[in-house]
Amino acid sequence: MNLSIILAIAFGGALLTYFSGKISKKARDVLAVLISLVIAVILAFFYNTSSREIFYTGFLDFPLILRIDTFSWFFAFTIAVIGSFSIIFSLSYIRKKGNTDYYYTMMLLVIASMIGIILSGDLVSFYIFWEIMSWSTFLLISYNRGPAIAAGIKYIIMSVTGSVAMLVGIISLYSHYGTVIYTELSGLLYNASSGYTIFIFVLFFIALGIKNAIWPLHVWLPPAHSEAPSPFSAVLSGTLIKIGTYGIILLIYVIVKINVFLNLGEGIVSARYIIAVTGAITILIPTFIALLQDDAKRLLAWSTIAQAGYIILGIAYGTSESVASGMFHFFNHAIFKALLFMVVGAVEYRTNGVRDLNSLGGLIKKMPVTFVGGLIGICGLIGVPLTNGFVSKWLIYKTLIINNSPFLAFAALLGTWGTILYSYKLLHNMFLGQLPEKYEKLERAPFSMQLPIVILSLAIILFGILPGLPLKVINSIESGFGLEPLTINIWGITSDTGTINMLNLFVAVFLIGIMIWLIFKGSKKSAGIGQYDNYAAGTTVPKNKYHYSVDFYGPLHRMISPYLRDFIDDFYMSLARSIKNLGNGIRRIYTGDVGYYAIYIMLFLALLIFIQIKWKLW
Amino acid sequence: MNFLSEYIYYIGAFSLIFIGLFIVLAKKNLIKVIIGLSIVDTGINLFLITLGYIRGGTAPVFSKPGLKAENMVDPVPQALVLTAIVIGVAVLALALTLAIKLYKHYGTLNLRKIKEQKW
Amino acid sequence: MVNPILLIVIPLGLAFVVPLFRFISKKIEKFIPFFALLANLIISLTLFPHVLEKPIHVSIGGFLPPLGINLVAGPLGILFAMLIALVGFLVSIYAFAYIKEKDQEKYHILYLLLLTGATGVVLTGDIFNLFVFFEILCISSYSLVAYFGDKPGIESAVKYLIQGAVGSSLVLIGIGLLYGQFGTLNMADIASNIHSVHSISVFIPLVLLITGFGVEAAIFPLNAWLPDAHSSAPSSISAILSGIAIEVGLYAIVRVVFTLFGASSILTFLLFLGVITLLIGELCAFNQENIKRMLAYSSIGQIGLIVFALSIGSLSGINGGLFQLVSHTLSKALLFLAAGYMIFRSGSMNISSFEGMGKKMPYTSFAFTIGAFSIVGLPPFIGFPGKFMILKAALFEQDILFTILVFLILLATIIEGAYFFRVVQTIYFKGEKSTPGQEREIAPLSVLIPVFIFVGLIVVIGIYPKLITEILESSASELLNRADYIKNILP
Repeated sequence: MNLSIILAIAFGGALLTYFSGKISKKARDVLAVLISLVIAVILAFFYNTSSREIFYTGFLDFPLILRIDTFSWFFAFTIAVIGSFSIIFSLSYIRKKGNTDYYYTMMLLVIASMIGIILSGDLVSFYIFWEIMSWSTFLLISYNRGPAIAAGIKYIIMSVTGSVAMLVGIISLYSHYGTVIYTELSGLLYNASSGYTIFIFVLFFIALGIKNAIWPLHVWLPPAHSEAPSPFSAVLSGTLIKIGTYGIILLIYVIVKINVFLNLGEGIVSARYIIAVTGAITILIPTFIALLQDDAKRLLAWSTIAQAGYIILGIAYGTSESVASGMFHFFNHAIFKALLFMVVGAVEYRTNGVRDLNSLGGLIKKMPVTFVGGLIGICGLIGVPLTNGFVSKWLIYKTLIINNSPFLAFAALLGTWGTILYSYKLLHNMFLGQLPEKYEKLERAPFSMQLPIVILSLAIILFGILPGLPLKVINSIESGFGLEPLTINIWGITSDTGTINMLNLFVAVFLIGIMIWLIFKGSKKSAGIGQYDNYAAGTTVPKNKYHYSVDFYGPLHRMISPYLRDFIDDFYMSLARSIKNLGNGIRRIYTGDVGYYAIYIMLFLALLIFIQIKWKLW
Repeated sequence: MNFLSEYIYYIGAFSLIFIGLFIVLAKKNLIKVIIGLSIVDTGINLFLITLGYIRGGTAPVFSKPGLKAENMVDPVPQALVLTAIVIGVAVLALALTLAIKLYKHYGTLNLRKIKEQKW
Repeated sequence: MVNPILLIVIPLGLAFVVPLFRFISKKIEKFIPFFALLANLIISLTLFPHVLEKPIHVSIGGFLPPLGINLVAGPLGILFAMLIALVGFLVSIYAFAYIKEKDQEKYHILYLLLLTGATGVVLTGDIFNLFVFFEILCISSYSLVAYFGDKPGIESAVKYLIQGAVGSSLVLIGIGLLYGQFGTLNMADIASNIHSVHSISVFIPLVLLITGFGVEAAIFPLNAWLPDAHSSAPSSISAILSGIAIEVGLYAIVRVVFTLFGASSILTFLLFLGVITLLIGELCAFNQENIKRMLAYSSIGQIGLIVFALSIGSLSGINGGLFQLVSHTLSKALLFLAAGYMIFRSGSMNISSFEGMGKKMPYTSFAFTIGAFSIVGLPPFIGFPGKFMILKAALFEQDILFTILVFLILLATIIEGAYFFRVVQTIYFKGEKSTPGQEREIAPLSVLIPVFIFVGLIVVIGIYPKLITEILESSASELLNRADYIKNILP
């Protein structure tokens, strides 16, 4: 099986979907799901293989190369799976809205280009797919109109800014080393001056950091994630920003190589430390901003930035445990963040677009499956034992503490505390507490929404109990990078400095669970009380007058919100405004008076002659 | 004096060109500007003719015996001038046509007032 | 082998036949440009393989060079001739439905003359002849800008004419000075003697020619006519002006600087000039509300980029510059045609009037989007290889100056992206979601066919740039190897 066939299916399928939609809506839905599943299945067969092929020679002098190894397989497969779940989820989500052909085509195009990026074997094809991803994402973010338009423009401008920086980096590498192929570039920077390496690093980090939403390049993410259609938010948050992560790993561990990276600078001013600290900041600030949000999707969007901070921290820290945690957390985050966006999407779908956490509540009885999905999702997000998030967070804490980085460890820990607060807010304000009267007749989420929610929830538990499955893959990636692999078994990790075994934990939790169940079973049944059967100051509380979810964490909110204004966003906006004003000012030279124009011509002539006399150009 | 007589045509030509350019740059009436352009054209034509002109020269035709090539006027600039005159006339005619139309739209030929197309 | 002179004769001859055909039938006249340019396209395509082997050169009237007028069909000339014929051909199809006025024979005559002038400029080997063709091009474009006879059209045409006339006077003075020194008008002959003369007396004509042609090439600060003329001309003419007229001006500058003078030292100046033109064009376009003005300023920016690339002066730089030139011609022509029909339907040039066009005119909107993405330089469209090659050429100089200029260029790209994406969003995502009873107004076939041929070319060359890189490379080497050019004409 050729790698180019995957891309052909992905890109061709996207186009085909559009035209099939013109014939039959049903056929198109089936086709879209089928294509995304086929890609995932084909990729699954590439497990543990490695191959490399030139798939196109027509682009200037650059042979475009595809390659697969464990590293790219891991990312590509995750993306394909999450992508196909999102498409299944879309089936009912998007049905009510217009332009469905367009929606599916763009969705498949984004997935196809992401897989193209991952499978690329050289920087030029990486860049080409990267740009295709950028514009197709842009066209999909604005799909919902209204505020989504501003979100889209913010996204694409930042994205273009990043990609032009990366383009300079790529061409600069080419002009120095005469190649853009990973395997040939790999390690060549060993001899470069550290100034040049930093130059390359900065250029690539602008692009990758923007995609990965590293603070202070994150400003596009909250509006884009919250305004995009929910299944696409799942793709954005679960996989698209991880393309940035992939690029950072690629840059550090494949192109620059770990030994050069760790020797870049010393102590506090080393590249490793600076990126790790940026990762820590990216955990801290967005976590607490997430706490302030009242829009469910915006909350999740800020949470995504924070979790990306963990991943960056892990990857940049450069020990084999931290890198493993970074990649494992990437995998986990893809699962639980996609799940959470789907949960919010399902609620949004049933309530006709309500995402305001102040006006939802009590949906547990109406949408129980969705609630369970949300519960498991936030458990994973927090890192509760027996969910996948636990293992990756455990790894990062451990390596940070062992390697004497208490501040980074504390930042990671503080981030988790914040995560607990905001995830509880999310779950509580949607599913627990009071059910507003207007939602009395709410139905369950449709099957096509419940299916991906259930599967992803199961995956969280599965990889929480059997972390060895993904860790095995990660281990073989790490040995490819020249890092020492961890000692693992299917249940966990063994090492001298700390062992984790999910089997023991699982048995313990299982037994405790049975005990609690028995206690409850044996004790007296509690009496159920209706929602409106409560009193204040001796009288009944008026219906729908009070909503307990409003002003959740009020005091905390008032305490921290003055410190958390998004100054970075203000800065970018004022930059944009000043460019606009500059343009308006410069335009005035075209006064409309033709006399001036003739004078310009004469002045230009005079300038040329002056230059000649002064500098003797000719 | 000798210098002047040798370069008188060049001086004349460039004076015309600069006068014309000055009119184009400084005058605000469209008709005057067009006249300026026309003067520039005339100056250039004079300049081109001067390039090939030889004082007391003859036509470059070998019809009579005894005519020397050194004394002949260069015919190429004259051909150029013919073409340039035609082009100049075309531009002039077009400019005047447009001026009439412009006057119909604006009711003025003052270029400082005709500033709707700007920025 | 076909004689390249046909490329000039056919459109020129047919231009004056147009009124005669009126006697036969009034419907026939609009097909004449179509056939003339189709013939030109075919001729230039058949000449293309011959030219790659050896430039063709034709002496007219029996005089051998350096006397007499001669045509030189080198790779560069044929590349331009092909481009002119192609764009002219497609735009002439567009005009079937777009030009609806009663006396449309004037349009067709002037249109053919404009393209004759453009083809003549790129094929001639005689500097005065170049000027004459250049004037044909200019005069017909002045009158075409005013074709509708409306207020903005007339005003812009007058301003264009004044600036253009000043520019061509400068050119003519420059040519006169050159003739005074060298006694010849043949470009190869002048080029072979250029270094034998004292530098300052060669410099003045160089400056005059650059300034004069610079007016048509829209180099800052000589470009004040461009936004006015492009925005008030009929859209088909805007496409030609933006896609062909400026490029031909650029061709003249390039020919003068590289072939005629071999002036590699002035390139440093042009390098900065290009970047300034680029930045100013993009900044001016950033906040435009008038779509055609925005596109016009964007053309200024693109010209700046091309000037920058050509002024790098290396083979790969010129290569990239020419690629960008082709890419700009195709993309900008497409944008003007697509936007033109949307303006035709909505009746307003304001960007906000494009709201909901994505639903109303899906094909035209799609084409506009492709053009916009291509101009910004996104793959897999033609703009991407162009920008890529330019950046590659600039960074291969490995000079800190070039790195700084590259960053300025990329800043301009970002600005460009910002305003083009804004328009794309307006077309697709702004306005009411879809009001009932709103009908699709599919553009007529004569609009869609040329527009989609442009889209096809943009995508195909974008995916497979090798399609044109061969001719670009030989064109670039023609520009760099003056000695070969001279030897070919003056054996």
